[in-house]
Amino acid sequence: MANTAPTTEQPATGFLQSEGMRAFLKFLKDNGTLVALIALMFIFSLWDEAFFTPRNLTNLARQTTIVGIIAVGMTLVIIINGIDLSVGSIVGLAAIVVTLLMQSGVNIWAAILITLLLTGVLIGLWNALWIAHYNIPPFIITLGMMTIARGIALTLSDGGSVPVTDPVFGEIGGGFFSVMVSTIMVLLIFAYLLFSQYRDLKQKQQYGVTVKQQELITTGVVTLLAGAIVLYAFSYRGLPYPVAIFAVIAFIGSFTLQHTKFGRRIYAMGGNEEAARLSGISIKRMKIAIYCIITTLSALAGIMLASRLNGASPNLGNMFELDAISAVIIGGTSFSGGVGTIIGTVIGAFIISVLNNGMSLLEVPTFYQLIIKGGIIILAVWFDVLSKKKRG
Amino acid sequence: MGEVVLEMKNIIKDFPGVRALNDVNFEARSGELLALMGENGAGKSTLMKVLSGVWPYPSYQGDIYLRGELKRFYNTKEAEAAGIAIIYQELNLIPDLTVAENIFLDRQMTNAFGAINWGKLFAETQRLLDELNITDFKPTDKVKDLTVGKQQLVEIAKALSKKADVLVFDEPTSALTDKEVAALFEIIRKLKRQGVCMSYISHKMEELQQIADRVVVLRDGKTIGDVTPIAEITLDQLISRMVGRDVKDMFPKGQFQRGEKVLEVKNFDIDNPDLPGQKKVKNACFCAYKGEILGISGLMGSGRTELVSGIFGAPPGPAHGEIYLDDKLVRFRSPHAAIEHGIGLVTEDRKRIGLILGQSIIQNMMISSLETVTNVLGIINQAKERNLAQDYVKRLSIKTPGLDVKIDTLSGGNQQKVILAKWLNIKPKVLILDEPTRGIDVGAKVEIYNLLNKLVEEGVTVIIISSELPEVMGISDRILVMCEGEIVAELTREQATKELIMAYATGSQK
Repeated sequence: MANTAPTTEQPATGFLQSEGMRAFLKFLKDNGTLVALIALMFIFSLWDEAFFTPRNLTNLARQTTIVGIIAVGMTLVIIINGIDLSVGSIVGLAAIVVTLLMQSGVNIWAAILITLLLTGVLIGLWNALWIAHYNIPPFIITLGMMTIARGIALTLSDGGSVPVTDPVFGEIGGGFFSVMVSTIMVLLIFAYLLFSQYRDLKQKQQYGVTVKQQELITTGVVTLLAGAIVLYAFSYRGLPYPVAIFAVIAFIGSFTLQHTKFGRRIYAMGGNEEAARLSGISIKRMKIAIYCIITTLSALAGIMLASRLNGASPNLGNMFELDAISAVIIGGTSFSGGVGTIIGTVIGAFIISVLNNGMSLLEVPTFYQLIIKGGIIILAVWFDVLSKKKRG
Repeated sequence: MGEVVLEMKNIIKDFPGVRALNDVNFEARSGELLALMGENGAGKSTLMKVLSGVWPYPSYQGDIYLRGELKRFYNTKEAEAAGIAIIYQELNLIPDLTVAENIFLDRQMTNAFGAINWGKLFAETQRLLDELNITDFKPTDKVKDLTVGKQQLVEIAKALSKKADVLVFDEPTSALTDKEVAALFEIIRKLKRQGVCMSYISHKMEELQQIADRVVVLRDGKTIGDVTPIAEITLDQLISRMVGRDVKDMFPKGQFQRGEKVLEVKNFDIDNPDLPGQKKVKNACFCAYKGEILGISGLMGSGRTELVSGIFGAPPGPAHGEIYLDDKLVRFRSPHAAIEHGIGLVTEDRKRIGLILGQSIIQNMMISSLETVTNVLGIINQAKERNLAQDYVKRLSIKTPGLDVKIDTLSGGNQQKVILAKWLNIKPKVLILDEPTRGIDVGAKVEIYNLLNKLVEEGVTVIIISSELPEVMGISDRILVMCEGEIVAELTREQATKELIMAYATGSQK
């Protein structure tokens, strides 16, 4: 090995020197999903010039939000070794309920709140009752709820679709912040991200954790790159409301997992449920909370979808559970529990929508799209298993 | 004296942060029983895992010779094929299958269509049992209906059916009744006559004097002295080889003033969920005081673990009875409630239900007391958390490269210290420890004893379960002895002798 100098605080002298190169390669290895996302975007951009346009990127971001919001909740569920298959049907049910409520003259915001409570919290409580109290495997319970919720949606709507007339409701899923406001917001957010990376470094140094400067530069560069792409994308019409909602939810989710009592307990439960119980974690309460969070997020996703489409059909959200689970798994959350991040899931969700969007642009027939998507999910899990084996 | 069958030379095995085996040398001969002695954590189990291919070549250093031939096992199958069989403490039988199916698991005689030839299977098993003079059970009995002792015989029959000629017993009698032990010894004697080479891991001196031919001692991963015929060594010599130091230094004992009653357990029962009508704990009554260490002794399966789990709000079956904490009647429906009242439990099975493997030291350390480092919104104050964790690392001298490394990478002793830190941070009133020094090196043990003494001085009530008599006698102020779910004796430090405790624990004295 050419350079075995100790790790801290060396001025980076040229990025292509061995140390920098190695940090870069390590970054590639540790951030496989991010690299895959960038590579995919790059390939599609070369292939079809319509891909890397502000208009298409804006669309792509909007398409990601619905499944992305569900996937944030799904991350928590999968970390604790659970699963929720009912999310797709809840999207359909929530869309029907909120539109029907408005049709019957209920105020928009009241309709949204009632929908969140009825199709989100209430169904979550029901699922959790069986899972946490009667110890029925979540796969079975939520499989049942998947059919039940779809059935209720079909019954309520009589199998037909429900239109929305109120223009304000359409704004939730279809509106934009102006380009000016979006630019300021994006700049502020990315400035904060860079600042927090710097602060983390300072803290880590304070605790004696060694940090490679080159690694830091790499993360900094990636952050700047992401910021640039986001600014470019939203130069089309600005930041879409649903994307902003997704960003806020993802941020809260990520912060909760990394920096709160609740998050620590989730990881502990996923790592070893019995040890967690004997450490004083109330497993039941945790499960109730988590299964309510995911159903509520799914209900929110359903409301947003109804808003974007200006109407609802009972079949909305069909197979969304699979996309959400795929996003979580591609994002590196382990099916054996205890491991996973929201940022990984967000990247996973974007990979799925880049694939969907790119393949549609290239006019890949839908049938092939399904095959390719399935293959990629298998690849991602194989990669996960492989990297775990290596770690021993 | 038979020929040398098994020889292990200069065996060294490292784990992250600890050298488990450090130059082990011995040889075992055919037709003899070689006793392998040593305290818990001396490296006996690791040695057996090297021999059986669980730790494959080249994860260790040194050579294994079988009948003079250098052997390198890359997996357990190869070791098995070479004729090595290990009968572990924890039996590896499938409860719902018959004796015959267990013995010939994966090797059942089949006909041309791959269907099992049941007649032949049972006949062959019966022949094997006859050979061993086993008449207590039939090939068609289900394993789950047999006692642990009989299950052990099934394991032996299984090993012999594989034509094993090197048999290793890992503490085989720890869960057996006297009668079952006698039956086992009868079979061992028979195997000796047949020329089988056997090794026997145990702490029980009396047993070894009955059955062993030669003895070798393992301490801190090293073989101490040569292989010695059992007739040529005294008990004291054996103990000094095993402990390597004066027992007094091994168990530092603080002098405390016993304070007020903290915990009182009255008429505490735990039903056995698997066997209706039976009880895991019967009518337990005892008190624990401030400023004392209360020891609980008893054989494996005597209900010790169940009793303390029950107090901690995690009983293995429905529990009845009364628990008073500071003279107030309490009822813990979950460990969560027990912890809120200041009770901590260091569990027996560290890997399975103690640690959260795959997660960091700081995550493991803080998981029971996150309230101490969070604000009202439940947000963790990282600086505060790290400082607190760092304090524990220093105070308990936990050897670790950092707070963020996975707990898996630490040695057993350091893992246990992290768990102790976890419980110290709940500021316990009563700290219960179930076999806290199992699988821990001697140095860390002494540190843990010192820590317990200090806790008692600070006013914590400590209850400790231990299978090791010197340990429980060395550090307790009072000792409860359990037998078959009942507390059969309460002995003061002065009254307690090994013989007396064993007599109560085995039920021979009531």
